[in-house]
Amino acid sequence: MPHLDAAYNLARWLVRSDDDAEEAVQEAFLRAYRFFGSFRGEDGKAWLLAIVRNTCYTLHTRSKAAGINEEFDEQIHQPETVAASSDGCFSRNPEEILIEHADRELINRALGELPLAFREVLVMRELEGLSYKEIAQIIDIPLGTVMSRLARGRHLLQRALVAHMNKESAK
Amino acid sequence: MNCQELERLVHAYLDHELDLMTSLDLEAHLNECGTCRAHHQALRALRDAGAQHVRFHAAPAALKARIARELRDACRDRTSTRLQAWRAATAVSVFALTALLAWVALPVTSPGPRQAAAQSEERMVYHIASSADAETALRNVANHLAISPRARVVIVAHNNGVDFLLRGARNRDGSPYESSVSQLKAQGVDFRVCQNTLTRRQISLDSVIPEAHLVPSGIAEISRLQTQEGYAYMKL
Repeated sequence: MPHLDAAYNLARWLVRSDDDAEEAVQEAFLRAYRFFGSFRGEDGKAWLLAIVRNTCYTLHTRSKAAGINEEFDEQIHQPETVAASSDGCFSRNPEEILIEHADRELINRALGELPLAFREVLVMRELEGLSYKEIAQIIDIPLGTVMSRLARGRHLLQRALVAHMNKESAK
Repeated sequence: MNCQELERLVHAYLDHELDLMTSLDLEAHLNECGTCRAHHQALRALRDAGAQHVRFHAAPAALKARIARELRDACRDRTSTRLQAWRAATAVSVFALTALLAWVALPVTSPGPRQAAAQSEERMVYHIASSADAETALRNVANHLAISPRARVVIVAHNNGVDFLLRGARNRDGSPYESSVSQLKAQGVDFRVCQNTLTRRQISLDSVIPEAHLVPSGIAEISRLQTQEGYAYMKL
């Protein structure tokens, strides 16, 4: 089954729960089949991941209506303002250090805690290996926004890691 | 390049998304500016740490099995009628061919059965480009299948011809298209909707009835069916 792992990985990082990710991926594959039948586009992976992402968002809008997981939804409506303020020049970390020994658990937790808009571009870029153009298509945002979200996302990730590491060393 | 420009472009540089000339400019700046060099190194270290440690969640085996099962069911519902006719036709020729091959003791590597069946099969694509013609088209297809029940029929809807495949669509007399569509569907007719049309007319994918499925371009699909799958063409 092509791109199933990529689909599950994206869904798992977006919704952050095994059960929800499985539900989203299953629904996305059925949707893909229902709408497109045997069609295999040139860009099958990006196309499928766009359906997976939409399905994750739809499922969460639905569960929000049922009063579950408000946090995910609030983040959906905020990224533009957060991203906009970050365009161009944000201050660099004064304590900019080389993160060479960040431990596994820490880095996974920090990524998982990033706001959704930044988490998704980072996952698509670093884990799924998608190009800026593909990411722009999937999320339906301009190329420049992909770039600024990645910049902002990495900046936030770095800051979270540095904060955690300082806390550890202060112990 | 100055520090501010580098700040803006360094991520694209890290991700190999910059063109050659800009990359060279950026590298020249990195060579002469220690602050930017440190910034670049920190980002690269972060990315390497990510690549090394961030977990890729592979799909659980149980999920894979479940999706495969569901897709098979959905596929069976969609094509059951058509497949039964096709299987009956191929079963005979597969049997005849393997018997023959066994008899002359040749290795069984035949691409033959599918082709044999394809040659004897009648295939027709109906093109509906205007909603006014939908009713006539459906009637013609039904008449066609009454004479040749085994014909493979595809209906490609495009332009205003997609209207009858939207939820709640009704004909000029106000009766819904639904029953004639699902009846033809049950006889194995395949309904395909042009996605370019939907995009252009800003029709949401969800308003297409589940009996139909989408193709990226109606015209390209018609051309493909004719040139690659041997379909005859009928415009309505």
